[in-house]
Amino acid sequence: MEDVTATAGVRTAPAPAGDARRPVRRTRSLTARLRPWLLLAAPLAVIAALLLYPIVRVTYLSFQRYGLKEIISGHPSFVGLDNYREALSGSYLWRTVLPNTVLFAVVAVVGTIVLGTLVALLLQSLGPKARAAVIAAALVAWALPAVTGTYVWVWIFDPDSGLVRRTLQNAGLLGPDGYNWFTDRLSFYGIAELNVIHHSYPFVAITLFAGLTTIPQELHEAARIDGANAWQRFWQITVPVLRPVFAVVTVLSTIWDFKVFTQIYLMPGGSGSNPDVLNLGVWSYMKAINQNQYGLGAAIAVLLTLVLLAITAVYLRVLFKEDEIA
Amino acid sequence: MSARTSVWAKAGKYAATAAVLLFTLFPVYFMLPTAFNGRASSGTDSLFPTHLTLSHFSRALSSGESGGFGRYMVNSAIVTVIVVVATCVLALLGAVAMTRFRFRLRTTVLVLILVVQMLPAEALVIPLFLQMKDLRMLNSLLGLAIVYIAFALPFAIWNLRGFVAAVPVELEEAAYLDGCSWWRMFRSVLLPLVVPGLIATSAFSFVLAWEEFTFALTFLNDPGRMTVGVGLAEFLGRNTNDWGGLMAASTLVTIPVVVVFVLAQRRLTVGLVAGAVK
Repeated sequence: MEDVTATAGVRTAPAPAGDARRPVRRTRSLTARLRPWLLLAAPLAVIAALLLYPIVRVTYLSFQRYGLKEIISGHPSFVGLDNYREALSGSYLWRTVLPNTVLFAVVAVVGTIVLGTLVALLLQSLGPKARAAVIAAALVAWALPAVTGTYVWVWIFDPDSGLVRRTLQNAGLLGPDGYNWFTDRLSFYGIAELNVIHHSYPFVAITLFAGLTTIPQELHEAARIDGANAWQRFWQITVPVLRPVFAVVTVLSTIWDFKVFTQIYLMPGGSGSNPDVLNLGVWSYMKAINQNQYGLGAAIAVLLTLVLLAITAVYLRVLFKEDEIA
Repeated sequence: MSARTSVWAKAGKYAATAAVLLFTLFPVYFMLPTAFNGRASSGTDSLFPTHLTLSHFSRALSSGESGGFGRYMVNSAIVTVIVVVATCVLALLGAVAMTRFRFRLRTTVLVLILVVQMLPAEALVIPLFLQMKDLRMLNSLLGLAIVYIAFALPFAIWNLRGFVAAVPVELEEAAYLDGCSWWRMFRSVLLPLVVPGLIATSAFSFVLAWEEFTFALTFLNDPGRMTVGVGLAEFLGRNTNDWGGLMAASTLVTIPVVVVFVLAQRRLTVGLVAGAVK
């Protein structure tokens, strides 16, 4: 990336040799032109070295056999598309990992955006005291670290002595043997959804609420005079005006929910002992870090990255279209 | 008719508020009584604690040959300070460049900053693990901090952009008219006005560095070097079903984050909204 900055700097400031009539002005304009690149040099170098170079290296790894033997010998062998063939063939990816990843993300994004929007609208209609209470609560839920939040939900649903088991048993709704919610894929992901939506809706609610306060009240009043009800006003005024904000929170939620790792890995069985519940991220991590099949893990990681790239591309188009209008 | 609807609307609003508060606060609430309860043997016992005790906290803080949670919290604090300071400095440079200058490739850089935010940690952890292993920087808090800076930076630049853009250019021009150099203007005009943005950036990078799990799990295997996220997992691994101790440790991990969020409250989303609506 340093190379790119350097060439770009040269390209934007082509100092022709013969043009030396006004040297002072030329040097000033040269520094002025270089200034953004001077400012960007350090941040871009960090991004290039620790985000861009690794993503190139992981792609390179995905075409190699790279296990313990290769680490020791230092001579990984090229295997072409073998790792991808191994990841894509068989039913495990298509029946288990991909549905886990995609369905989880879809439900989590819809849940987060819907709940976040409802809470934002609720915040707008509340008095100052109730509003402050809800915002404070949302901040606390947002602040609850993913690791601790996950452990609290695991404790609530603990199959031996958790709150849900004991409550259901006291109510006579669950037999004395109890039930392990973490072994079944559907209930496992149900708990993960609760955890993730609980953790990520406050960001959406607070951001949308901040956006709502920027909508001029006159718009709503005019619409009310024209006979529009609350539902119509939401879809005709709030949504169009806040479309950029909705776009941003949906982009970020989708990206975050597709690559959810901690919340799955830390649940019982989520770190590999229950193959039914792995998603793309955890599967890749298992293969690479825990089983030392770095090549195969890298191939799965590249597949996850491609999915995310596709989503990002769609949203970038939406965002930049909005920018042109504004 | 309309009076009756408004009564129902009011009741609905209260019910909705109560439901939101219950769902939002319950997990946080449930953590506390378990942490302080002398009989935290089952979930229903923990719901309303009767025998208050601090023994879970002392167990969490002292257990293990590595020094327990006190050690993990110090490690996390070291990493966090490095990450917050470095991210603020680098993000401010980047945000000023992106908002105050029109240059070739500006859109390209902007798209790059947006796109790298979507790169999954799971994909980067594999090459970075191999790299850190080659550099013998596994179990190094500095190595971990450097990775976190890179992860915090794209979002920090993007978020800070909105705050910098909100500072009127006229103020800068006035400073130039008064004979300020660019650097002097940056220090005396721009910097003080983007402090709210820096507070938001600090809060976000604080949270990322304090509680990050994936890289800490991969890079750190020496218990003396663990940070709080992976420390919690290590604690549960050693003390299966010690929910009291785990929730006490979780409480310790959560408190600093809640404090930071409450302090930074008003600044957290301003940059995003300003950047998006503008």
